[in-house]
Order: sequence, then structure tokens, then C-alpha cells
Amino acid sequence: MRFARLIGLAVAITFVAPGLAIAQSGAIVETGTFHGVVHKTIGRATIYASSNGRVLRLTHFTTSNGPNLHVLLIAANDAQDDENFLTKKIERVDLGPLKGNEGDQNYTIPAGTDLSKYKAVSIFCEHFNANFGTAPLER
Amino acid sequence: MKITGSTSLVKRVLLLAFALVVLFGLWYAFRPEKLFINKRVDEAAPILSKGQPTPLFTGRFQRELHKTTGRGTVYQRPDGTRYLQLTDFSTSNAPALHVLLVNSKDIGANKDFAPTGKSSIDLGELKNTQGDQDYTIGSAVDLSQFNTVAIYSAGSNSNFGMAKLESF
Repeated sequence: MRFARLIGLAVAITFVAPGLAIAQSGAIVETGTFHGVVHKTIGRATIYASSNGRVLRLTHFTTSNGPNLHVLLIAANDAQDDENFLTKKIERVDLGPLKGNEGDQNYTIPAGTDLSKYKAVSIFCEHFNANFGTAPLER
Repeated sequence: MKITGSTSLVKRVLLLAFALVVLFGLWYAFRPEKLFINKRVDEAAPILSKGQPTPLFTGRFQRELHKTTGRGTVYQRPDGTRYLQLTDFSTSNAPALHVLLVNSKDIGANKDFAPTGKSSIDLGELKNTQGDQDYTIGSAVDLSQFNTVAIYSAGSNSNFGMAKLESF
């Protein structure tokens, strides 16, 4: 009896668990479209849940090229202008330098990032403290 | 004479060096060449490797006649078939609610609309007024044409809410 249960458990772990993991992987957590703030910025930002953690993916993306551009998650619903960054010192999670000012690209989101707090993506120029564009994220 | 000449030379060299430093500083700060040089990247989606459905379009529901919230997303399975998934969905309950694909142009002007066979595609009766649900989309449907999901009440011929689909 105990042996049969063990086999049942083993079968469940072997066949069901990977299925569950795959079903959850690739799920869309949040998405939103960019609007240009300091510079024209267009495209979509989508956060996917994957087996290796959450990933921010930019698609149909175009912004101005500039010095020292970074991809940030900011603790705001949206940002209309760069003053948000200068005066209010909005909390941010830096996902790294922008890989390219055009095209599809992925950024790993650090584990433990609270997405109910960081609700918008910002393309941010560290040199001029300027917000090139923002994408508010929604479920 | 020689001495003054050499000091002016030293001055010139210093001035030149200073100008170069300033120019370098300005270049480093503004990086003007970046105005003309684009950097294009093309990374693959992080999730396509395991036979996952690919998201194609998405949009948030907006209320029309009744409060309707949530998101509609169109996915494509690896075998090419497509389906519409409603998530975090909620609308009013009513008899004979249908999920339609329509063209956004056709429903901009008036909120009540009687969809004819050609101007809308019926994905079937709404399965549930709350929660996540899937609807199969026929292979012939042109989603660039039928780019909006409408929750349509056949009983009252009205549009409860709709979601404009935008590309991922």
C-alpha cells in the first residue's frame, strides 16, 4: 500500500510537475506600451514569468540613442517628465544598460523585485538625468 | 625676445591642451555621434523554446454600456492555431452574451451596434462573466482586420465593453 503510494508520488513528480512548470513558464505578468517623454520612444514592454525568473522584454522598440542609457523599473504608476527623477527621487531598480536603441531585447529582473511597487519601465539617461520614455505596466 | 616667444608658445600649448580637454569633456557629455548612429538588437523571446504559445496581440477592456475590466490576449500555439484568452475578466451578467471580434472602425461612432456576418466574427457565447477563459479563433480570421474584442449582448443589441488588440 505504502509502495503503491510512493509509485503514485513518483509518477506525479515525473509527469505532472514538469507540466506545471512549463505551464507557468512564459506566462505574461504585466505589459504596457511606451510613450516618449524627453525623446520619442515607442514599443511594448512585457514582463514574462520564466523558469529562470522574470524577464522584461521590449518589442517593436525604438528610442533615441544617447549616452549611458539604462533600463529602470520605477516605483511609480507612470512618469510624464524627467522632474520626477530629479526632485522626488523615485525609487528604482536598474536592469542594466540599454542594449540597443532599436529592436527586441530582454532584461532579467532581480529575484524579489516587488512588481506591485515598481509599476513602470523607464528608459533613463544617467548622464542628463533624463527620462527618454516610460511604459506603465498593467496586468 | 626669445623668452617672450617661448612663453607665448607655452601659453599656446597650454591653451590647446585645455581646449582639447574641454572638447573631450563636451564630447563625452553629449556624445553627438549618437544622434546619427543607431544600435539595433534582435534578441529572441525568452520563452519560445518549450513549445509555448506565442502571444500575438493584447488589449485591456474598457467599459462601454456596462463596467467591463480585464485583458484579452491572442496566443498562437506551435501548431499554428490561435486562441483568445481573457484574464482578470469581469463584466455584467446578462442573457446571450457573445464574444465578438470586430473592426475598431465599425464601433467607434455608436456604442450600440448590430453586427452582421461580414463585420464581426462570433467566437461563441461568453463562458463566464468572471475570470479567465479561452476562445478558439478560426484560422481564416484576419486579426489586422478584426482587431477589437467586444462583449456583445445579443439580447439588448449592445456592446458591454471592448478591448482594442495591439501587437506584442
